[in-house]
Amino acid sequence: MPLIALVGLVVALTVADPDFLTLRSLTAVSRTAAPLIVLAAGATLIVLCGGIDLSIAALASLSTVLLALWLPDLGGLATPVVIAVAAAIGAVQGLAHVLLRIPSFIVTLGGMSILSAVALVVSGAGTVRVVDDSTVKWLELYVAGYVPMSAAMALLVVALIAAVVKATPLHSWISATGYSESAARLAGTPVDLVKIGAFCVSGACAGFAAVMLVSRQFSGGPTMADNLLLPAVAAIVVGGTAITGGHGSLWRSLAGALVVTLLRVGLPIVGVPSAYEQILYGVIIVVAVALTLDWSKVSIIK
Amino acid sequence: MTVTTGVAASRRIIRRGAAFRDAGPPVALVVIFLIFAALSPQFRSIANVQNIVDAAAVLAVVTCGITFVLMMGSIDLSSAGVMGASALTVSLLVANNRNDNDFGLAGIAAAIVLGCAFGFLSGLALVLLKVPSFMATLGVSAIGLGVATLMFAGVQPNISDAMLKSWAIDRFLGLSYLTWIAAACILAGWLIQRYTRLGRYAFAIGGAEEVLTLSGVRVKPYKVAVFTVAGAFYGLAGVMVTSQLGAGLVQAGNGYDFSAITAAVVGGTLLTGGRGGILHSTVGVLLVMVLTNGLVQIGVSPYWQGGVEGLIVVAAVAAAVIPQRRRNQVVK
Repeated sequence: MPLIALVGLVVALTVADPDFLTLRSLTAVSRTAAPLIVLAAGATLIVLCGGIDLSIAALASLSTVLLALWLPDLGGLATPVVIAVAAAIGAVQGLAHVLLRIPSFIVTLGGMSILSAVALVVSGAGTVRVVDDSTVKWLELYVAGYVPMSAAMALLVVALIAAVVKATPLHSWISATGYSESAARLAGTPVDLVKIGAFCVSGACAGFAAVMLVSRQFSGGPTMADNLLLPAVAAIVVGGTAITGGHGSLWRSLAGALVVTLLRVGLPIVGVPSAYEQILYGVIIVVAVALTLDWSKVSIIK
Repeated sequence: MTVTTGVAASRRIIRRGAAFRDAGPPVALVVIFLIFAALSPQFRSIANVQNIVDAAAVLAVVTCGITFVLMMGSIDLSSAGVMGASALTVSLLVANNRNDNDFGLAGIAAAIVLGCAFGFLSGLALVLLKVPSFMATLGVSAIGLGVATLMFAGVQPNISDAMLKSWAIDRFLGLSYLTWIAAACILAGWLIQRYTRLGRYAFAIGGAEEVLTLSGVRVKPYKVAVFTVAGAFYGLAGVMVTSQLGAGLVQAGNGYDFSAITAAVVGGTLLTGGRGGILHSTVGVLLVMVLTNGLVQIGVSPYWQGGVEGLIVVAAVAAAVIPQRRRNQVVK
């Protein structure tokens, strides 16, 4: 389904503007999509477990600030350190969710608020400019001359996580947790560890998305990635991953992220003001969630 | 015999537990107020207390709305978007610098009705499409922000309507009109919660929806109605923010969604539903306002406000969940 939507969108945009299907605009689209793909990929794991992560965008914003602040001192080490810190923050949220038994959306909603506040304080509520960006510049290179490095890395991240999940028992653990947590627990699945791990990977992905954003914008800002939350959630649900958990995959979110990016890029081409973008996200989220919902599981919806 | 005394005793313990739980937030409010009053001379001035109460007005109205939703065990993240849309609506319908409209009270009513419509939409998405409320309201919030951006159209509408502007400036008994409006909302909310079928059923839905359904109550219309009522409160809150700012802004509701959840949860309204209420939430609103005001007064950066609220929510929810850890094994 998301693939059909993707092809349909490309065709429609090509009809609307024949210049769309050129190398230059396609590389531009893939570069725009890269951070979104990474964010959505990480959060997909959590959705597969039946939870949700609303803090990814705020965490990415905080990570851009940290990266911009640490680049002068740490140089090349700054990137892995920031990703590790982001992963640790994700893991802390996962721990809070599992140990304190708080619903994941509340933990991450609180996390979103806390992380935004930290980003504001650390950055002094302003943009942190990156003077020497030589260590994150590699993301702006091109693979084989045409494919932007950031897009290639995004693909690599999705492929890597998907491969690891597929090759290990993680695959069945995650879907068991998502489909029926109590049954998974009784069957001896390490549900708590799986969930914490998912949050940890989601945090790391947010950190990596932040590296991409910094390399593109030469700066970090406390609200830089905040507007990526809705597109990321939309990408996951448009891809067909059920919000109730269990059903879905990372590749679907990749397709979803591309669909969302194309819509974003395509609206001005078709002549629709970009103010409709927000409305579109809202409608997409509601409709896609309704379509992909596992109706057998939901006798009572809160 | 022993059995009955046992039951009576346990019931008394439960009741004492409930009393303790209900007393917690007000006691915390008084304690925190006294601590800040001891720490900061500016904090304990009459003017600052007026400030706190006036600053609480908008949050109180938003919290009134969200409390009904939380009582059902649902959640509402739509207030930011709905407030933005209603702020733009009212600023374009009363006397302003963008067009020749001058509808006065009718414009305000239109903004509230728009809020109702958004709430209705959230309710329908929940009931008909079965979309979980946090997703449905996240979507509706985005739609509201989009509608607001469309109406904003790049030019900020400044209002010149004398009545709406006076709401934020003129005072009655030392408090601004907005504060009195908020007080009226709290009263209205309490009356709805206490004496109408809507309020009673909202409680019952949160407590045990299955039981209610099995006893023949058609739950769905009430759910939609609750979201609609909440939308009306957000619409009014958008109008109030417009009165404060003197202009309609898309970001009018920024942060209120989360602050309102914080206030309601801190006041003792459980996210699982069936507990708390308007008066609890009002105490929660004052708690949040005293805390944020007090922290600024003793020299903490205002940027920390969101962080403090985030910590409070997580802590309050965790504290509320601890007694029933066994019961809900599955937490999503």
